[in-house]
Amino acid sequence: MENQDLDRKEILNGLIEVLKTVRTIDPARLEGITEETDFMTDMDTPSTELINIAAKVEQKFGIEFEDEDIDELGSKVKDIINLIIKAKERANS
Amino acid sequence: MPVRGRKVAIVGMGGAFPDCANLADFSNKMFSNKVLIREWPKAVEYNKQIRSMVSGFINENELGIEPIYPVAGVEYPETYVDTLGRIPDINLATADLGSVWAMIATKEAIEMAGWTTAETQSEQTGVVMGSGGGGNQIARLAWHAFYVLKKKTRMAGSHTIDRTMGYREAANVSCLIKNRGVCESIVSACATGLGNIGYAYRLIKMGLQDRAVAGGVEGTALETFIGFDAMMVLSRGFSAAESSRPFDVNRNGFVCSFGAGIVALEEYEMAKARGAKIYAVIDDYFNNSDGDGNMFYPSSDGQRRLWQGLSADVEIKPDVVKVHGTATPVGDIIELLSVVDKLGETGYHVSAPKSQFGHMLGAAGSVELITAILMLENQKVLPCVNSTNLNTELETFQKSPNWTGSMKPVSEYRHLIPQESFAKEINPVVCLNYGFGGTNSAMALSKDI
Repeated sequence: MENQDLDRKEILNGLIEVLKTVRTIDPARLEGITEETDFMTDMDTPSTELINIAAKVEQKFGIEFEDEDIDELGSKVKDIINLIIKAKERANS
Repeated sequence: MPVRGRKVAIVGMGGAFPDCANLADFSNKMFSNKVLIREWPKAVEYNKQIRSMVSGFINENELGIEPIYPVAGVEYPETYVDTLGRIPDINLATADLGSVWAMIATKEAIEMAGWTTAETQSEQTGVVMGSGGGGNQIARLAWHAFYVLKKKTRMAGSHTIDRTMGYREAANVSCLIKNRGVCESIVSACATGLGNIGYAYRLIKMGLQDRAVAGGVEGTALETFIGFDAMMVLSRGFSAAESSRPFDVNRNGFVCSFGAGIVALEEYEMAKARGAKIYAVIDDYFNNSDGDGNMFYPSSDGQRRLWQGLSADVEIKPDVVKVHGTATPVGDIIELLSVVDKLGETGYHVSAPKSQFGHMLGAAGSVELITAILMLENQKVLPCVNSTNLNTELETFQKSPNWTGSMKPVSEYRHLIPQESFAKEINPVVCLNYGFGGTNSAMALSKDI
């Protein structure tokens, strides 16, 4: 459990690095970001930008999402973290 | 049909000009006979793959713009940052480089016009602009990622469509200024810039809109340059400053250039009533097609009918004819002799601004219209630099039994073709532009008196 928490923290930090490169996200909003932060309602991210964030995350973490996963992706930070873990596990299995 | 008594005023302008910081810098350099063409490192980099090495280019990081790349080493600009804070990030996210220039130029033009937010956002305000669109780095890299690198479509980014679609400049500008009137593009190759302004003029003249921002754009793209280089129609073998030489006997092609020119148009009485500065009045606009089935070759008959159409209602006697004058071997002299055919052998001058900044393709007509406005404003004629030696012999087409125009060599018209800028009384000016497909366009401008 502890290991998983650590992983999630590392992934969140990596995700923040990715989000810093997304120009349509106000950098000030990244300061208090948590897993419960919602891209749409809390960060005003345009919906077209979520797919760019997903593509950047794939590059950053060296993983590939399934199209079905992206279709079902929620708009909270934890949803992306869960998806990254799922894609990593799939790659390792 | 035109509404009787309705006239159209030009009340603002803005643009992106090669090797110039802004409109004032552009004006100063143009009237100082400066050439804005430089050797283009991006073309030189490809060495023997490309014939022509010069361009009137604007780098991605000029004009206060910075490209942002997704990861190091990728040449695909994911978006741009406006370091001068003119355009919000949300608008930059949907824009290619040309659309960024269009937005900056539109803001300048509206600021110069002095329109209120309510006027700008009115149902009576239109956005009419477009580009030649001969090539696009964003589309190329998106295709490369999919077809060659076998990446998923999302690796091309979710903004491939809005950053490459045909009327992207109009769409981006409309989203920026939030007008509620028309938002369209007229695309007619190298007549695009003037064609959009002509269309916007008609919308106002016919009472369909009261205001419009209109013009043409050509974002810097080696992809566009490659297409023309392949046709072997680009200037080659001269230094950058001497490479664009309309009318000169040794000309061997045009200089492929990039930029943007946007004007703010307003119904004349409305502009007058609010005390706006009127830079020029559009007297008429006319366009037609050659009708000879030839994609590339200019038509003397088409140009003759163009002049007849422009003068159909009122006889227009311009003091300056701002010609298309690209410096291709076939185009310039046919155009000059069409002007002579209409206006006679004296009483006006010919100005070829492409001699100073090259051929801006989709932006050519609008940036050159801005030079015509500057000529009216400054009462100075812009030159045809590098028109050093004029042919003392007849052109091949003049020897054809079907030729009905002038039987004099170009050297007999030296007095019409100035090599340096000079002052004279100017009112009105006629602007001419043509494009592939045999499209011809003409606009007459005069001072507000």
